[in-house]
Amino acid sequence: MTTQDQYNINFFKPLTEHAKGNKKLISSLAIIWAVAVFGFHFLLIFVTTPTAEQTLDEFNSVWPQVVEDTSAATEMKQTFAKSMLAVLGKNIAVKDNHKSVLKESLSWIVFDMQPDSIKPLFTKEVNDETIIQAAATIGLKAEGFDKIMKDLLPTSLTKVENPTLNAESISSLPPIMKLYLTHNQSFLTDFNFLGFPFHYWYTAQFLLILFVVLCLIYAISIDKLNTKFEIVEET
Amino acid sequence: MVLFSGFAFGQEATKLEGEFKIGPAIILIILLLTFILVGVFNRAKDTKTYWAAGRKISPVGAGMAIASNWMSAASFLGMAAVMYGAGYHGLAYVVGWTGGYVLLLILMAGQIRRYGKYTAADFIGDRYYSQGLRGFGAGLAIFISFSYCVGQFAGIGLMFKWILGIDFAWAVIIGASVVLAYTLISGMLGVTKNMQIQYVIIIISFIIPLFILSYKFGYFYWLPQVGYGSVISDIVNGIAPGAGISAMGHDFAILPSPEFAMPWDPATGQTAFQWLAICFSLMIGTAGLPHVIQRFYVVPRAKDARWSVVWGLFFICILYWSAPVYSAFGKVLSSNPEVGKLAKDAIVVYTAQLGDLYPLVIGFLAAGAVSAAFSTVSGLLVAGASAFSHDLYYNVINPEASEKTQMMMARLGTILMAAGVAIIALLNLGLIAQLVAVAFSLAGCTIFPLFLLGIWWSGSNRTGAWAGLIAGSSVTLVALVYFIAGKFGVTLPFQEFINYYLNAWYFAWLGAPLAIIANIIGSKLSKNKTPIEIKKFLAEKVHNA
Repeated sequence: MTTQDQYNINFFKPLTEHAKGNKKLISSLAIIWAVAVFGFHFLLIFVTTPTAEQTLDEFNSVWPQVVEDTSAATEMKQTFAKSMLAVLGKNIAVKDNHKSVLKESLSWIVFDMQPDSIKPLFTKEVNDETIIQAAATIGLKAEGFDKIMKDLLPTSLTKVENPTLNAESISSLPPIMKLYLTHNQSFLTDFNFLGFPFHYWYTAQFLLILFVVLCLIYAISIDKLNTKFEIVEET
Repeated sequence: MVLFSGFAFGQEATKLEGEFKIGPAIILIILLLTFILVGVFNRAKDTKTYWAAGRKISPVGAGMAIASNWMSAASFLGMAAVMYGAGYHGLAYVVGWTGGYVLLLILMAGQIRRYGKYTAADFIGDRYYSQGLRGFGAGLAIFISFSYCVGQFAGIGLMFKWILGIDFAWAVIIGASVVLAYTLISGMLGVTKNMQIQYVIIIISFIIPLFILSYKFGYFYWLPQVGYGSVISDIVNGIAPGAGISAMGHDFAILPSPEFAMPWDPATGQTAFQWLAICFSLMIGTAGLPHVIQRFYVVPRAKDARWSVVWGLFFICILYWSAPVYSAFGKVLSSNPEVGKLAKDAIVVYTAQLGDLYPLVIGFLAAGAVSAAFSTVSGLLVAGASAFSHDLYYNVINPEASEKTQMMMARLGTILMAAGVAIIALLNLGLIAQLVAVAFSLAGCTIFPLFLLGIWWSGSNRTGAWAGLIAGSSVTLVALVYFIAGKFGVTLPFQEFINYYLNAWYFAWLGAPLAIIANIIGSKLSKNKTPIEIKKFLAEKVHNA
């Protein structure tokens, strides 16, 4: 070994016993760190499958009769209207242009369900009377999720200008419904831990705890290592 | 009278901001006066005190300082905002901004302290024996501190506007003057002492509302950081109205919204790749930010540097464990469209308001946000100013400068930085406030590789350092050009491709590995090997070999 070499620092080729211990410690912690963060998320990617909310299945089941031909029974139309409201209820998650398609479709189906004598009411500005009438035709009750949907009506109904749904909305509605009603789920997201969906708890809480613990282990181990090799750190 | 004056919050979201709120204003003024007084009583007498606090801070104290230096408006307000808007995607920021400290500790903290320099550029210039690199490093440190600072001023403006009911320009002018005053008077020691006080204020003001919210809406309130798990599950499954619990005239209820908690939900438009890339980039960016690295110079020994990171991370995590609680309650409380689509940046304060908390608690919360922004700004000002006066002026331009001249240049640098930041913040260019995104990846692409290889491989030499810097900077430049072009609506070739893979928030996932590879190749190919004195210093002083 030349004098030049004895000063060569290379993490992977430790020269002293102390450096070897250090390398082992850092490598172990770094591997735990990487597997815990990235390993878990690769697993999450691997196991998740796009899963539809029940509302999407309901929407898809009534879609052909409600929109493509006009054979739909009232219950089907009500289901259709409720599915629009279910997505509008996601509020902040929904893009504005998607909201307007949903609102238009909702207003159209509510209009469609009205007897001819009441229809003109829906071609004017939305008021308390139209809202009460709409809630009744959709069949919304005063409790449970129905109540939330009822509360959504004032901001969701718009003036109906066309007795038919326009072609653009017809083509864009199914993809919009699919976008907001499909979620990446798996046993990791379904399993409940401390009230959390497991994956959420793991990322939001466990990983942070792990980070602190890793740091603690490192600080303690290095102190021990330094004592063992009688290394005094200068001030 | 004072206690009740802020009580008349309206039912509508539009009234959440606007008028002057006297209770919160008094809290804020008391806090600002305290900061200045602490600065005055801990005045810096020489450059060593100004830059490195005389190396007299204990690990717990340094940990608090690390935490409040770190926790900015982005942590206090921004993180909850991202989770509020994009659900699980926001957790990439929570994990990214904490996980980086593990890297920082196990790979660098003790070694940086043992290297014994004042600034990040100092280390780079010394280790790679190059004045050019020192200058480049100083330039990077100034750019990163500067753009990061502008982002903080946006947060300060937002909260001053909310508390005082004044417009953004005045909010920025007042905020800038106060930060500048005590940074100038005290330097790092005053700043470090202040940071400890600020940490306590930040954390208490952030956590109190969570206990009240959890209690009020019937969740496990002894530890809201665990209790909110049920809120998350309830959001996924929906909360039916009932039990007469209401918030500002609306039921505490929400339709099933799994998009809030499910990973990379299609509704958020964010993918798994983006989650991982952001997480990784923020981690290495954290470990490369000059104002973060610089904290290790203020503790007496390498052991203290290590323990200060352990404490610092723990203190940071207390806030990061809590932030998602705001987004969860905010999601439910603002689920009715009549409440309106809230300004996401202020969701923390709005959630407290929508939860109808006692106005002074909300005022204290807003003052906490200001403290968070202030503590970060002061750290940034010191980091930027020291890069200017110590690295550029003293080491490159005028090595003969006396202690007195250096002090003067340090103060001048601080004033220039603060004035520059205030002017740019006043112009209110959205673009520049967003440059904080670039700061992380830029630090990860440039400073992180230089420290990592500089400490752990004595074979890394000047040529390698330049090669790595050029590689890292090139990736940054591409990302920056596309980012700015996008803001001005210009379409460049492969715009969509580059925007997705080299986004301003996460281009370091590619840039950092490239910079490391370039550094290694450059070092291997170069005939100009690392001088023996530097190897000896590295082996003996830094690694105790």
